[in-house]
Amino acid sequence: MKDRRAIVTGIGVVSPLGNSVPELYLALKENRSGIRSMPEWYDAFGKDIANAPVVIDPAEAKKISRKVRRTMGNAALFAGLAAQEAVAQSGIDPACFASGRTGCVIGSTVGSASSMTEACLAEYEGRRNDLSACHFFRLMSHSSSFNVADMLGINGPQLSTNSACASGLQAIGAALELIQLGKADVVVAGGSDESTPLVASSFQLLYALAEEETDEPDKLSRPFDAGRTGLVCAEGAGILVIEEYEHARKRGADMLFELAGYATNCSGWHVSHSDELQIANCMRAALDDAGIAPSEVDYVSAHATGTRVGDAAEAAAIRAVLGENTPVSSLKGHLGHTLGASGALELGAVAGMMKEKIIIPTRNLENVDDCAGILLPREIEQRKVRVCLKNSIAFGGVNATLVCRSLD
Amino acid sequence: MDRNEIIKAVNSIFIERFELEESELTPEKNIIEDLQLDSLDIVDMIVGLQQKFGIMLRDNPEIRNVRTLGDVYDLFEKLAKEHPEIVERLTK
Repeated sequence: MKDRRAIVTGIGVVSPLGNSVPELYLALKENRSGIRSMPEWYDAFGKDIANAPVVIDPAEAKKISRKVRRTMGNAALFAGLAAQEAVAQSGIDPACFASGRTGCVIGSTVGSASSMTEACLAEYEGRRNDLSACHFFRLMSHSSSFNVADMLGINGPQLSTNSACASGLQAIGAALELIQLGKADVVVAGGSDESTPLVASSFQLLYALAEEETDEPDKLSRPFDAGRTGLVCAEGAGILVIEEYEHARKRGADMLFELAGYATNCSGWHVSHSDELQIANCMRAALDDAGIAPSEVDYVSAHATGTRVGDAAEAAAIRAVLGENTPVSSLKGHLGHTLGASGALELGAVAGMMKEKIIIPTRNLENVDDCAGILLPREIEQRKVRVCLKNSIAFGGVNATLVCRSLD
Repeated sequence: MDRNEIIKAVNSIFIERFELEESELTPEKNIIEDLQLDSLDIVDMIVGLQQKFGIMLRDNPEIRNVRTLGDVYDLFEKLAKEHPEIVERLTK
């Protein structure tokens, strides 16, 4: 079924650096950071903690009808707004959403971390009867996916990939496979997630959170850097409109890039320890799926979150598969780790890099020690990005790699 | 407690939870057909009224019989007479 190719025709984002792809892309090019200190979390941690929150104008949120919005936690709201941008950019006729041939695949770590916390508090404080009839729909694991499907009137396959920080990239991979298998002609796909004290403390407990007290919280997220101490949590959504090639061609769609190949695997031995061998195997399998040689890869948009073990394992895997001369960067120095959204959200920037023939470097990367042996640009680099590998690596030992190919 | 206070309290639920304009909230309006509440909204209307008036309604057979906004006003006028704690709560 490889004769059915999958093309991205629209991308939308909600991010700590703006709630549209142009805003995000400009901020990344200008080397801005979405990370700040969170005084509103002080009571939860007893100290200053850095985070990269999203800001939504309530008037923007009301672009989604009340009857859809009422069952949305923040993650689904982010996904809904990002989906609106993606659909608008694609120029697709909304009538096709109800054709039975359009799917929706959106993943997140949990449906809504804030809604889950709220439900638990209500339960333990004896306020169960105060919960809205809509509350359970906000925290269900597939909340982003069914809410976006409802918002757009999609009635084809609706799935949710809940694989923590690989959720978004696995959703896009599943969308590619739905199209390749002939199960759908169009899929709205991506990832979304919320950052809350509960989420950040999950990483803190594992010594994976960058939590030093500092006057420069924007310097805390340091992927691949010798001084990295952990990740900074973030939130957002990235949503793509993905179409079968002929479907996009016939309507004269603007084709952003092709999803040329995909693979996902898992380590099978440890839920939190990154496994460089299986990351490398996943990257090789994705390249095989695309029929692309390692030498043809122009850029790797790395998962690298700034943890000691995770970044070193990914760097080793990239070195093993691609050698030392393929440019690599992580956008988490600017954005923090947008968790289940990251794989999809960061593709919004990849599309811009492909179009403008540049590579945006890793923010806060100053010195390299155990991540040496891969090419890590320090400045914006002019380079044609025809083939990009996007990695996501998640708790549960999950790895995912997507191969994106420009259509120039 | 007069009927206007009941109406004001009930209307606040419809304005806050269902984003309706106060001008739309007249007694003859059918809650489902005119105000476009669906099954989830009806549950949330009950949750909102419970919170506002401080009494449990979930198993009250009379709440199941309301059709119009006027029916809701009538029910709470009656309940306010039967339950002085409602008046106390709303006048706090």
